[in-house]
Amino acid sequence: MSATATAVSAQGSDSPFPLEKDDLLSAYRTMKTIREFEDRLHVDFARGDIPGFVHLYAGEEAAATGIMMHLTDEDRIASTHRGHGHCIAKGVSVHEMMGEIYGKVSGACRGKGGSMHIADLSKGMMGANGILGAGAPLACGAALAAKKLGHKGVGISFVGDGASNQGMFLESLNLAGVWELPVIFVVENNGYAESTSVDWAVASDSYVDRANGFGLPGVTVDGTDFFAVHEAAGEMIRRARDGGGPSLLECKMIRFHGHFEGDAQTYRAEGEVEDIRNNRDCIKMFADRVSEAGVISRVETDAVDAEVATLIDSAVEQAKAAPLPDTADLLTDVYVKY
Amino acid sequence: MSSPVVGIVANPISARDIRRVISYAGGLQITDRANMVLRILAGMAATGIKKTVIMPENAGLRGHLMRALTRSKNAGDGHFPEIRTLDMPVTGDATDTARAARIMREMEVAAIVVLGGDGTHRVVVANCGDIPIAGVSSGTNNAFPESREPTVTGLGVGLAVTGQVPPGIAFTANKRLDVMVNGSLEIALIDVAFVRERFVGSRAIWKTECFHELFVTFGSPGGIGMSSIAGLVAPVSRSDRFGRRIVFESPETASFAVRASIAPGLIAPVGIADVQTLQFDQPITPETRAGSIAFDGEREVTFGKADEVLVTLRDGAFRTIDIEACMAHAADKGCLVEQAEHQTKLKQVKGG
Amino acid sequence: MTRKISMKEAVNEALDQEMQRDPTVVVMGEDIVGGTGSPGEDDAWGGVLGVTKGLYAKHGDRLMDTPLSESAYIGAAIGAATCGLRPVAELMFVDFMGVCLDEIFNQGAKFRYMFGGKVETPVVIRAMCGAGFRAAAQHSQMLTPVFTHIPGLKVVCPSNAYDTKGLLAQSIRDNDPVIFLEHKNLYAHESDVPEESYTIPFGEAAVLREGKSATVATYGQTVHRSVEAAETLAKDGVDVEVIDLRTLSPIDNDTVIESVEKTGRLVCVDEANPRCSIASDVSATVAQEAFGALKAPIQMVTAPHTPVPFSPALEDLYIPTADGIADAVRKTMAA
Repeated sequence: MSATATAVSAQGSDSPFPLEKDDLLSAYRTMKTIREFEDRLHVDFARGDIPGFVHLYAGEEAAATGIMMHLTDEDRIASTHRGHGHCIAKGVSVHEMMGEIYGKVSGACRGKGGSMHIADLSKGMMGANGILGAGAPLACGAALAAKKLGHKGVGISFVGDGASNQGMFLESLNLAGVWELPVIFVVENNGYAESTSVDWAVASDSYVDRANGFGLPGVTVDGTDFFAVHEAAGEMIRRARDGGGPSLLECKMIRFHGHFEGDAQTYRAEGEVEDIRNNRDCIKMFADRVSEAGVISRVETDAVDAEVATLIDSAVEQAKAAPLPDTADLLTDVYVKY
Repeated sequence: MSSPVVGIVANPISARDIRRVISYAGGLQITDRANMVLRILAGMAATGIKKTVIMPENAGLRGHLMRALTRSKNAGDGHFPEIRTLDMPVTGDATDTARAARIMREMEVAAIVVLGGDGTHRVVVANCGDIPIAGVSSGTNNAFPESREPTVTGLGVGLAVTGQVPPGIAFTANKRLDVMVNGSLEIALIDVAFVRERFVGSRAIWKTECFHELFVTFGSPGGIGMSSIAGLVAPVSRSDRFGRRIVFESPETASFAVRASIAPGLIAPVGIADVQTLQFDQPITPETRAGSIAFDGEREVTFGKADEVLVTLRDGAFRTIDIEACMAHAADKGCLVEQAEHQTKLKQVKGG
Repeated sequence: MTRKISMKEAVNEALDQEMQRDPTVVVMGEDIVGGTGSPGEDDAWGGVLGVTKGLYAKHGDRLMDTPLSESAYIGAAIGAATCGLRPVAELMFVDFMGVCLDEIFNQGAKFRYMFGGKVETPVVIRAMCGAGFRAAAQHSQMLTPVFTHIPGLKVVCPSNAYDTKGLLAQSIRDNDPVIFLEHKNLYAHESDVPEESYTIPFGEAAVLREGKSATVATYGQTVHRSVEAAETLAKDGVDVEVIDLRTLSPIDNDTVIESVEKTGRLVCVDEANPRCSIASDVSATVAQEAFGALKAPIQMVTAPHTPVPFSPALEDLYIPTADGIADAVRKTMAA
């Protein structure tokens, strides 16, 4: 809840938020870029422009952005099948992402990975993952490497409410506790494992309980509230960097689209999606809050909107124009040397 | 003996916030909470309560409860009263608590038993009107609910609402803080803190450098949370006919600072600039001009210079069930003694 | 200087020398320290059969005991390999791969291709394989074909201490994921091994015995049984060439084909189950590439299409024997 609009100076440390104006604008830009990217895919996929299938992150932008703002390229994240938002927030080029999704050589993985396997290790993005829960051990590995190599990096493992039932994930909670790894497990709970409701599929669906069961502290936040995610993630990441060990963050969030594109979402309640789009849009809530506080004006967010639309336009144009992989590419890059 | 309906509020979202990471706050497991509800139910059943209603949730509480009730029913042991789940949507946050409390008020339940900490109790009180509540301490910061075995809470509530303990003994009136922000009312049961951070974020408050001002209904030296600051500086009891206001400043510049337990696991120095007594029904404008307001330890509202904020201490604002008094009365009158002859023996023992 | 050491000691020595050479090498696995945190940790187990014994005292926490959670720690080894470490993860028995196969075949094996050639995953997964230990169905399999089937993995299965040391050092220095399988029945087998560090390149088979009459291609424990068969046949004037494949992915088909072009006869010996095995793979390759050189149908000697039995009476029937190999050679000679 916020009181009515007021004019507050946004200069320097007068920002009433935990971030200065530039960072707030950057957070807005990241969230908006994810939304625009996904909305464009939604349209272009329906038109038949995109091969395969895509899982969209729209509606969940505050979580990826609130977490990733604390990270550097040295920090590693292991993402999920719904990974576009994580990629963008971690700094992967949207041009390379779009190229990948179109299966072009300009793609982040030269067209060999596709939507579910976008990776850019130079940005600390260890890959979206088509296998649910498989990223958790990998993030533990990244954290182990940081610990053994003596740098302050952390590993972040993203799983959904569905994949949190995977043995790989639960084993990882234990391993992280045993090895005291600087890793944070983020459960993005959007209420649906594909089409199966979390109420049905998780016997005791308090993820904090699960973390506690392995001796890790767990926290639940409203994943649609950028500031809630940002603050909680910041504490957990700082703790991990300082040798405080692993923890779990449950973000309760909302999926605008279906499990994958083409999903008619008949399992959702009538009016559910409209209601959340109108009333629980994390980007709109963020924009309202910063503008009511007088830190960022509507003119400024409008300018970012226009800039982002242009960016995505150019990403789509470039992806469409880029060449397809060569026949020879079929056989390359299986091994470093064979 | 009438068979009143008792409401139960147990929101699984309570005790899940950032304080588990910053200061090792407790996080009672869902199965523990379900077992606590069952013990409350057992206590109530023993006093003749036949019907209860509980708020719905989707974190697994209901499953545990229903399995236990089915087993009891199969065994025919009459261990629990009937339990009905309210028909309402579940959002998975504190609004479920508010909605459940409103519905329970509309259906005029005899009492509401609340599982949770200060935050959950506050939401129930804001929505339950004159319905008496009984708290079971199971939240993060538990300054308001007392620590007590839930079985006994169930017994006490049952004795109170079935009339075995007279209302004059069973029910207690409590103070409350009203905060009007541009005419919109928010309440606190224990404390209202004004902090400089102008975002709600993860709600908890622990950054002492942002503390600006505090109002309390009561504050005990042995308490936990923001009200413990008042407890250490100028204690006020739940029954005192006044409250306190404290203005903070940096511990470096303040004339004195206290090391207070501002949250479970978190002891920090807090600089004290000024301490005042709060009288009933006298609206006060806080010194803080912009920031956020934490009610009972959780940030809820942000405000700026143009917003009008008024804090008022209220008397007799809501009712709680005094479990200790109920049990004392039961012991005195033999409410839990089963046969008349034993009643006589009990009198002899007491007399002896 | 060269001296005789066992295959078990060769593993230990290679790990020790590679850890000394490269600070990014870490070793993890169930019980590989075998007592981290216990009062006698410096003299702890060192693996269920003592293969890593003594390394913890030398290298400290670069050796890590793991919980019994193969998915988690094999996945962590693979993740760490993409982040600057060279982990050697021990899986104890290859039979346990089933519980963590995803991390191996969907993650580590695919990273390089799936991410467009931008990632290297220098991880080694060591495991004991093979029958003859009376360890029954879930602790005795070869499973080599399971791994050779997967693009992106390299698969090594040495037959002696010398190869073990050189191939393990190569595996650790290699920039691709390697499945390194150690036949438990050979751990005590000794051979001449130099003290100093050395590597043996992948994809180079060893011709253990030259011959003109027939070629036997094999790996692991059956190498020794094949040599024994060759010695028996030599008394009857049958001159068998025995090839130890050593690495199964990459596999040295050229050496086998060259040999078959000389002998005209091929017997493939494989302790793995017969369907889609190393034996059937080599047979198919030779049939395709060197059909004209063949004077007789290729023979395959493999385990039967059954799980590994427990009873010693049955297990001895399960593993290809020297007699069985000799019979197969005679059969191809008779054709």
